[in-house]
Amino acid sequence: MFTRSDTPPPLALKILGIVALAGFGAATGAAVASLAASQAMAWSDEVALVMAVGLLGMAIASAVVMATRPASVPKGCGLLQIATLLLASAMFLLPIYGGQFATADVIFGAVIVLLVIQTVTNVMLWNKADEMLRRIMAETGAMAFFACQGALFVYAAAERLDLVGPVSSWGLIGITMGVYLCASCIAAARRGIH
Amino acid sequence: MNNRLKVLRAERNWSQADLADQLGVSRQTVNALETGRYDPSLPLAFRIARVFEQPIESIFSE
Repeated sequence: MFTRSDTPPPLALKILGIVALAGFGAATGAAVASLAASQAMAWSDEVALVMAVGLLGMAIASAVVMATRPASVPKGCGLLQIATLLLASAMFLLPIYGGQFATADVIFGAVIVLLVIQTVTNVMLWNKADEMLRRIMAETGAMAFFACQGALFVYAAAERLDLVGPVSSWGLIGITMGVYLCASCIAAARRGIH
Repeated sequence: MNNRLKVLRAERNWSQADLADQLGVSRQTVNALETGRYDPSLPLAFRIARVFEQPIESIFSE
């Protein structure tokens, strides 16, 4: 029963992994920037595209970790995490590119369906998670809420004073997701999950 | 809060994953407990005490 080891990977392998991830991130960022520039996207679409690619990257990274370091506890959490990330990515991509394949009301309906499925997977993830993962999720939500509320207040005050222009809700949701992802990284790192 | 989890686990030659399986938590949670990055809930502290067959106060200290 007790045969597994806690031996951490060698430092060289860690450095190699960091370099590979940095290279992959740089290449992905350059590809997304090039795509956004070629299509003359609005900044809100660019933010949403970056979020979608980021979520997709996190889903792939989670799948790699799940394959290389499988864990039996908490059961099913790894798959649910990947599913929520993929669904969130699709929900950001559909409003940008879905119009090329279907009418707006069909795309909107698809987004709502994905949102419902993603909400269910999020609830399942919460129910299956252990207490530390739940704490990380709760801390992420709290950090993201206070950061977004503060930033929104400052921007709203500036907008009311005609110091800045209005921001679309599509732009705001992209920023909100970015703040949420940063908050989740901070909350996880505080518990030693890198 | 300090704890003797790492010592107790090493004495039994268990890996973090072994202990995690017995406690019903993730390996990351055991790692966070051992490094002092996370304080367990009371129910989890009781489970830890049961697994190591020791009173809670001999495992955790302020």
